[in-house]
Order: sequence, then structure tokens, then C-alpha cells
Amino acid sequence: MKLSILICLVTAVFFSVDSHAAEDIDPKAMVDTSYETIKLTGAEATAIMTIIDDKGRERVREIAQITKLYDNGDTEKKLVRFLAPADVKGTGLLTFDYKEQDDDIWLFMPALRKTRRIISSEKSKSFMGSEFSYADMTPPTLDNFTFELLGEEEVHESSCWKIAMIPATDDIADENGFSKKISFISKETHMIRKAVYYDMDGELHKELNVLNIKLLDPDNLKYRATHMVMDNLQNGRSSILKMNQIIFNPEVGDEYFTTRFLERE
Amino acid sequence: MSAMARFIIRFRILIILGFLVVTAFFARQIPRAEIDSDMKSQLPPHMTSRINTDRIEELFGGTEMIMVLIKTDDVLNEGTLKRVKAISKALNRTKGVDKVLSLFDLKYIRSEDGAMFVDPAVKRIPRNETQRETLRSEIRDNDMVYGSVVSKDFAITAIIAVLKNNTSDNIMVPRIRDLVEEHPGDEELIVGGLPVTRFEVSQSIQNDMRRLMPAGILIMLIFLYLCFRDLRGVILPFFVVIMSIIVALGLIPLLGWKIQVITVILPVFLIAVANDYGIHLIAKYQEDNRPGGNKNNKELASGVFRSLSKPVVLTGLTTMVGMLCLLGHQIVPARQLGILAALGIIFALAASLLFIPAVLSLLPVGKPVRTGASNNGNNRPLLERILVFFGALVSQKPRVVIISALLFALLSGFGIFRIVVDTDPYSYFSDDDPVVITADLINEHLGGSQNISIVYHGDIKDPRLITKIDSTEQSLEHLPEVGNTTSIARVVRQMSRALNDSSETGFNTIPDTRNAVAQYFELYSMSGDAEDFEKLVDFPYEHAVITARLNTSSTAVLSNVVDRIQRMTEDDADVLLVGGFGLVLADLAHIVVQGQFISLFSATGLVAVLLMILFRSIPAGLISAIPLSLSMIILFGLMGFFGIELNIATAMLSSIMIGVGIDYTIHFLWRYREERSNGSDPVNAASTTLITTGRGIIFNAFSVIIGFVALLLSNFLPVRFFGFLVVVTILACLIGALVLVPSLCLVLRPRFLEPND
Repeated sequence: MKLSILICLVTAVFFSVDSHAAEDIDPKAMVDTSYETIKLTGAEATAIMTIIDDKGRERVREIAQITKLYDNGDTEKKLVRFLAPADVKGTGLLTFDYKEQDDDIWLFMPALRKTRRIISSEKSKSFMGSEFSYADMTPPTLDNFTFELLGEEEVHESSCWKIAMIPATDDIADENGFSKKISFISKETHMIRKAVYYDMDGELHKELNVLNIKLLDPDNLKYRATHMVMDNLQNGRSSILKMNQIIFNPEVGDEYFTTRFLERE
Repeated sequence: MSAMARFIIRFRILIILGFLVVTAFFARQIPRAEIDSDMKSQLPPHMTSRINTDRIEELFGGTEMIMVLIKTDDVLNEGTLKRVKAISKALNRTKGVDKVLSLFDLKYIRSEDGAMFVDPAVKRIPRNETQRETLRSEIRDNDMVYGSVVSKDFAITAIIAVLKNNTSDNIMVPRIRDLVEEHPGDEELIVGGLPVTRFEVSQSIQNDMRRLMPAGILIMLIFLYLCFRDLRGVILPFFVVIMSIIVALGLIPLLGWKIQVITVILPVFLIAVANDYGIHLIAKYQEDNRPGGNKNNKELASGVFRSLSKPVVLTGLTTMVGMLCLLGHQIVPARQLGILAALGIIFALAASLLFIPAVLSLLPVGKPVRTGASNNGNNRPLLERILVFFGALVSQKPRVVIISALLFALLSGFGIFRIVVDTDPYSYFSDDDPVVITADLINEHLGGSQNISIVYHGDIKDPRLITKIDSTEQSLEHLPEVGNTTSIARVVRQMSRALNDSSETGFNTIPDTRNAVAQYFELYSMSGDAEDFEKLVDFPYEHAVITARLNTSSTAVLSNVVDRIQRMTEDDADVLLVGGFGLVLADLAHIVVQGQFISLFSATGLVAVLLMILFRSIPAGLISAIPLSLSMIILFGLMGFFGIELNIATAMLSSIMIGVGIDYTIHFLWRYREERSNGSDPVNAASTTLITTGRGIIFNAFSVIIGFVALLLSNFLPVRFFGFLVVVTILACLIGALVLVPSLCLVLRPRFLEPND
């Protein structure tokens, strides 16, 4: 009798100890979640992109952006229009981002009054000439990487998981532009609040800080980053993307995502 | 002077120790010396071409490139392209490499089916004939790649690694060479580019220093023994030379200077010249130490000092003056060499006059050696017979001698008109050296290895300015010496070809509104690499550069095209500056010639003045200037006839030789005057001088020649030629001193040489 009580007690303690242990999450799943969190069925925003060179000089672009998801979230259509400065005002970019096949891209140049389709096999590494890369903006193919949970850390007043993401092959590393990426994902919102990138030599390359986020779709807990800073620690340059206004609008009209609309205004 | 002699004898131990301590101090500095093989450092910092080239680097980033060239029948075959791809990828991952330009990294941006296509120049490696020919015509259509990264005949392709700033040649060149070893193949592969050239030059400098010095010292030791057949005659001058070399080399890091290509001449120069003072002292020692004489070591030592101190000091002074006249050059290493050599000579002089007698007075008296003065038998040594022959020639036919000398100089003088100036760094190496082969390949097939850049300033988005940049670029392309050109205007044209069909008006033209230009720029920075762009226009769009590659490194052609380009742009208010390596080389050519004239005339003038002061007579300066000038005419004449170019090394030759060559004349005149004041008639005075001092003079001259012979072992062609020309000049000065000067003395009978009656 006493022995069985002893066994019960030990088992109870054992399990309780177990339940108070650090919650073990699957790092791969967490990264997946972090990209799902920013997927909005539809949104409209205006933003300011500031590109700063190593001498502190600035180049500022004001853009308006409309996005909408199609095909159950497999396809994202995006319209970007430059609002400032004056010499590029009206330039527009229409993108259909597919899950499996290559993107469709159209460019409208107001000074030439023409629209041109762009077919690029190069995922041009830099987004609009900034330190942000296209690879950063699009969800990665998770099977191309290995993941490791490194621990926990508080970042921007948010308790985060620290997760390492390592490309499986050299080619995948080349495509993405890093040999290792350490992401700090908020436990509460599942947003990436900070990311540190290492280059092909394993040296510290860039650091992303997400200074502000906004809850846009409360029903589905979807957020967007509203203030992002990317610092390139090797060449001393940085880029800042700040959303002025961003609203969640699942009912964005389909007519925005046509070349006809691109050419208007 | 006897007070000085007594001083030396009294304090001989201290003197010896003092010299050893000073030498040890400088010896400790030597390991701190660094090597600098950059051509730019040869230009003085205030020269426009250097300032401008630095400014261009500041505005648009560094352009240091190491090129991997692959050569085969047709580079578009599968195996070769795979190798190119593998090497490009590996280079992209290499530490210190900023970016890679190759068939796989550069883009093909064009218009097709109403769309703008952005692809790498080689998207897929062709696996059959059809695919290969399609690729070939695509490449022909792609002016970013055709003729720059692949040759027009498709036999050569280049993989260019653009290096990050502040990378060291010593690390990057071996690193890339090792990388290339890991990708072997059947094709011929060469690694080249300016960093490689600098690396090879630096290696060769070190190599030279390690070889020339021991070789020179060995040759000198053997020569000294053959002359004097006495260890004293070998060890004492040798010691003085070693100490001077240590002091001169130790000064380099102390003064904050670096070792450059021509610094290699310094130790050899000291071996050849610092010897001389010791040689004359030992020769006099042996002359005084006659068989049957009974002077002790102290008397011999002080006697040597007393009789030679003045002429030795004078010859040291003239050599020093000759070296200091190198300051007439603007080329930095030439000026530095002048100062280092002059200081080395001063030290050698002091050591010869103080250290050697001090040691001689301590050593036991040497075994008497038969010299010409004591030998009256029929078996006279060869040397003596030559001197006697000269004596006879001079006394019997002085006028003939003078006229023959003048004629010979006149004839050689015609060669002067054929002299060519050359500052091409590739001419340091022989024609089959990989450095030269790479440069030739790049010149002929890949656009050119030299460059000149024109920087514009203003509102770069202004269509007027871009159109102007475009038209200047087109004019440059029409020059035959210009291979490839690149600029922001070319990029705008490329964008216009991608965004317009060939039938539309905007195709391949610069747009006429500022907004259109701005939008083209925006598009390029979205589809190209931002860094690509910044090599052509700066971040605030205020400066833009046209880089024209020149397919020649021949100095004459380069100077010519650089002049033309400068004239094209000089009245253009939009042009901020012109710079680039091609300009640096052209400038170097100008200042080499300028320096040559200034140093030559100042050396001749100053040396003549020195002699006037010594002999207290104006004709003294003039008489000595004559054989000197004739030697110089013969020197330059021979350079012209043999096609030896005037370059940084050979341009220093004349002022060095003036300082050294005058010594023989000085020794002759000094002794001749002494003989005359002792009562000999002119003819006897001349003969006696030749037979006695003549021996020292000949040893002196040959020690200089033999000392410089070591230069023939150098890795650098100009240094080897320098060695050859030294031999010629010294021989001319020697014969001048032994034959022409005595004849002039006998014919002209100048007063300063007559005894004071």
C-alpha cells in the first residue's frame, strides 16, 4: 500500500515537474506561424521608405499599396504606386505572387505613358534598392531549411522565441542571401520582432528590428509590422519602412489589380 | 691635418666602438621596413592625377579587380561554362570579394514580345548546338557582356572579382589563386589584374633584395682580394660597406618611408661606391708600405689619412651632391633614394676616414706588396703596362686624343634623338611573364587594361546632362585606343531598349524629360543591383562618371590619347575632373623626363662648382666638366641606339654617375698637381700620376662596375638595363680621367695645376 502511494506521489511530481517545464515549441511550425500572422485577406496602406547610405544621406519614397489574397491564400495580388517624390510620382507596379509558379509583374511608367510586363528570373535581391530583400518579404519554402530553438529573449518589450534558420544547401543559401538567420518571434503575437542575418562567411551582416506592429484583423489575430528598420552592419547603410496608415479591408475591389487601373491616374 | 691624424690614433678604440654601436642601432630598425608596390605612391601627393584618382575612388568606390581569364577554342561549350559557373560561385562566397562580374552574374536586360526580360547573361548552360548558337547571338546582343567579359571571338572569358576596400594584395592574390586550383580543367587559365601585378612586383622586390645583396657582396669580396691580395684590403672596405648599407636601410622605416622598386638599387649602389674610399686608402697603404721600408702601423695609418683625407672627402662630397640632385625629380622614390644614398655615402666617408685608419693602426703591419712604383723589371704586371701605355699615348699625342674623344661623342650623340620614354609597369617584366600576357589579352580582347575616367557634376537626372554624357561617351568610343566605355548614359539606353520595342521612338535613346530619366533610374535600381549603379552615379545623383578603358599600356600611345581626352573636356563646365590610372602613368612619363633634365644639369653644375672651390680656380671646374659631359652624351646616345627606354630607373642614372664618375678626374688632378709642385715637368708628372694614383683609380672604377654587375641579376628589366648602362658610363669616365684629362692638362697647361713659383 505504502509503496503504491509512493509510486503515485512520484508519478504526480514527475508529471507536474514536466508541465512546469519550458513549453517546447516546434521551431519550424513557429516560423510558419509568423508568416501566416501577416497574411491579410485584403489591406490598403501608405508607407514611407527611407534609404540611408553610409554617409547619412537619405532617399525617401512615399508609396501606396493595396493587397488581396486569392485562391485560398495561395495567390497574393499587390498594387504599389509611388506618391513621392515628384519625378517618380505615378509609377506603378502590379504583382501577382503565386505559390508555385513564377510571379507576373507589370510596370507602369507615367513619363513614357506605357505599361510593360516584366519577366525576371532573378528575384532581384534588393527591394526597391533598399536593404530589405524580396526574400525577406515573401514566406520561405520551409523544407529548404533546418530549424533550431535557441531559447528565449525579451525584444522590444516583448517576450520572444529565439529560433535559428539554416539553409539546407549552399544553393539555397545563395538564393536567400544568408548562411544563417536568427529570428526573434513574439510569444504573444507570433510576429517577428527582430532578425539577425549572417552572410556566406558566417559574419554578421544585417539586423532587422520591427519597432511597431498593429493588430489589423482581431477575429483572426492578424498583424502587420508598421515600423521596420534594416541595418546593414557591413556597409553602414540602413533602410526604414514606416506605414502611415494601414487598414484591413477584405472587400478590396478586384478591379484594382488590373493593368487598366495601373495605367489610370 | 696631422692633428686630426693624431686624434684618430689616440681615440681609435672609442671610434671603432662608436661606429659599431651606431650600426647596431640602425640594424634594429630594418625589420620594420615595409614594401609598397603601388604605382600611385610614386607620384608626389600634390599631383593632379593622383588627387583626382583618389577623389574618383571616394565618389564611386574602389575598382580593384582580380581577373580570372579562361581561354579555349569556344568558351560556350558545356564543360567550360560549368567551370566558369563553379568558379564564379566560389568567388562570390570568398571573403574580401565585394562582387563578381561574369557570364553568370551579369544580366541580360532586353525587350521581347512586348515584355521586359531580366535574366542572367547565361541562364542555362547549352547542351546542344542549337542552344549554343542561340546563346551566342544573345550574348552578341548584350553589350554589358560582349567584348568585356567574353571576347568577340568567344575564345576568352573573364571572371572578375571586384575586391572590397582595404583588402591586402598579399592575402587576396594567394587566396584567389588557391581557389582557382580547386577547379581544374582543360582550358588555359590565368589570374591577372592590377593587384596581381602589384603582388608580383612586391614579391620580386623582396626576391631581388635577398639575391642582389649577397651576390654583390660576394663579387666585391673576390674583386678586392684580387686587387690587394691582402686580407686588410678585403675586410676593411667590406666592413665599411656593410655598415653603410645597414645604416641606409635602417633609415627607411625611421623616416616613415617604404621600400619600392628602385630602392632595390640602394644596397648595390653602396656596395659599388662606398668601397671606393677604403680602396684608395688601402692602395696608398700598400704604396707607402714598400719592401725595405720601416714604418710602423701607426705611422702608416696616419700617413694614409693625411695624404688622402682631402681628396677622399672631396670625392665623397661630389658623390653626395650627385645623389642629392635626385631631388630634382618629383618622383617620390627617386627623391628618397637620393637622400638615403647621400646619407649612406656620408656614413661610408666617415667610416673610411676614421674607422679604417683606426683599425689599421691596431693591426700589425702588412706584408709589402709589389706595386707599379717599386718595380723596374721587365715582368711588369698587366695593369702597370696599361698605365705606362696610357702615359706614353698622352705625352706623345695629346691633341689626337682630344679630337678622337670629341668625334666619338659626336657620333654617339645622334642616338639621343631616338630615346623613348616609358613608365609602363608591365615593362618591368619580360614578355612571357604571366603579368604581361594577361595585360595583353585584356588589351586585345576584353576591352583594355588601363582606364581613364571623366567625372561630371550637376543634376544628373537632367536630360541635357545625360545627353551630353552620352555624346562624350560615343566620341570616346570612336578613338582607336579606347576599348570599352561605361556610364550611366549607357544604362539609360539599355533601359530604353528594354522598355520599348525596336519600332518605337523611345528605343535606344536618352529620353527628353527629367521624369523619364528619374523613372529609368528607379527601374534600374529595382532590377539591377544598387551597387552596380553606384559605380556610375553617386547616391544623391550629383556626380556621374564615364570610365573609358584603354587597350594599350605603351606610354607613348597612352600619353597621346590622355592628352586628347583632356583637350576634349577642358572647356566643358559640366566636367568636374579627369582621373584614373591611365592618367597617372601619363603624368609619370612627363615628370620622368622633367626630373631627368633638372637632375642632370644641376648635378653637372654643382659638381663643377665644387671643383672650382677645391682647386680655387674656374678652369678647374671647366676641365672636369668636359669628360663628364662627353660621358653623358655617350650614355644617352647609346640608350637611343640600343633602344633602352628612359624610365624611372634609368632616369636616375645620369646624376648618380656624375657624382661617381668625377672622382677619377679629381684623384688624377690632385696627384698631378702634387707631382708638379714637387718639381716634375708636365709629361713626367702625368706619367708618374698615372702609374701611381692610376692604380687606385682603376681599382676604384672596376669596383664600381663590378659592384653594379649584381644588378644584372634583378627580376626587373629596367634595373637590369640600369646595371648595363652603369658599366658603360663608368668605363667612359675612367678612360676620360686616364686619357682625356691628362691630354687636356698637357695641351692647355691651366694655371691652377702649375707650381707656385
